[in-house]
Amino acid sequence: MKLIPYIVYLALIALHTVILNDLICVYSIGINLTAFITMAVAISKSETTSLWFGFIAGLVTLAGHPELMGTCALMTALLGFIAFHTRERLNLESLYSKLLLVLTGVFLHNAALILVANRSEFFYLLFVIALPGAIYTTLLAWIYFLAREGRLTFQKIRSVF
Amino acid sequence: MSWISTQFSHHWRNFNIGAVIVLSIGLVFGPSAIGSFISQSILTGLYYPFFKVRSSYEMLASQASANAQLRESLTEASLKISLFSEALRENERLRSALGFEQPPGYRLMPAEVISVSGYQTPVAAIINRGSYNMIQLNQPVINQDGLIGRISSVTPDFATVQFLTDPTNRIAARIASSREMGIVKYVVDEGMILDNFPLHGSVKVGDTVLSSGLGGVYPAGLTVGLVTSVEHNEEEPFCRIIIEPTANFHSIEELFVLEAENRP
Repeated sequence: MKLIPYIVYLALIALHTVILNDLICVYSIGINLTAFITMAVAISKSETTSLWFGFIAGLVTLAGHPELMGTCALMTALLGFIAFHTRERLNLESLYSKLLLVLTGVFLHNAALILVANRSEFFYLLFVIALPGAIYTTLLAWIYFLAREGRLTFQKIRSVF
Repeated sequence: MSWISTQFSHHWRNFNIGAVIVLSIGLVFGPSAIGSFISQSILTGLYYPFFKVRSSYEMLASQASANAQLRESLTEASLKISLFSEALRENERLRSALGFEQPPGYRLMPAEVISVSGYQTPVAAIINRGSYNMIQLNQPVINQDGLIGRISSVTPDFATVQFLTDPTNRIAARIASSREMGIVKYVVDEGMILDNFPLHGSVKVGDTVLSSGLGGVYPAGLTVGLVTSVEHNEEEPFCRIIIEPTANFHSIEELFVLEAENRP
């Protein structure tokens, strides 16, 4: 039963890769949902869970590219591992520190993916895809953390309108 | 055994890290068959439902787009068919007009009707010929069915045709068989009648009424109509003859203005 949330997360990654990414993509800048979910898991769960979830999430993300799947799995597992230890060593009670962690983590993950997939235009893509993608994902993370802390509810949104 | 268990629990963290690294390196540098197998398993187990949803949606979107295109084509085709049908009808009318014999000494100038005026019965029409086309007042106007009327006013580009159905119009006419004469006029509520025809004149239902040529406006011999009713009333000096115009004034589209060949 404990595995069900993780299976849902993985299904969400697959759904995002197949359907949602094309719909919410803005000028080829998309959300790195894999990195975000891995970091969200790392912020709230144990080191082992973060490590293995990152590994499997990496496999799921690049399942369509078997030659890059291992690298992506290793990078995402590393992201979960680092995010967990950052959480352990820093005070992440503040929302902004969590967002800063997500921004940095997603940017590094994007950068690593670009480095693996397209090395020739690395610096160009770093600023055109990786950084805007990290900011876009951080926006999503902001909404997620606000909702999780109960600071953003349906009633509050409805009261605005 | 307990030593192994103790060692395992002490090094559980390192074991996990090592396992992840070994598996990742194995996937990167190991046989591609393993990577392909894992990839296929994930695609089949996790991605397939979403692929199915996406392909169904794309198929529906494609069908909707094709449907919209087909609707547009259908509308276009319907419009073309409608235009072609109209062209076909026009072609038939013009072919029938081609066989029409013009009166001797006259040329035919074809004209198209732009608008028709009149309450219940059309009494006048505007045609697309005017003084620039040498149209003059009182020129007779006919179509393939018979006499239509005369030119009653002219502007540079257009002219007005006064129909036989205008109550103010009069035509000197005669019965084709007996050659006896009368005056054709249109009376509201009664229709077209042949007036001033002798009470004992020779006329019967079905006789053709032609223009007599008297009066100088209409040339002789143009078909005006057919006799549909003859009433002999001894108390009246003339017969009451009702005629049916051969031309259908409700469906006039092309006309011919008669132009005298010896006109200056």
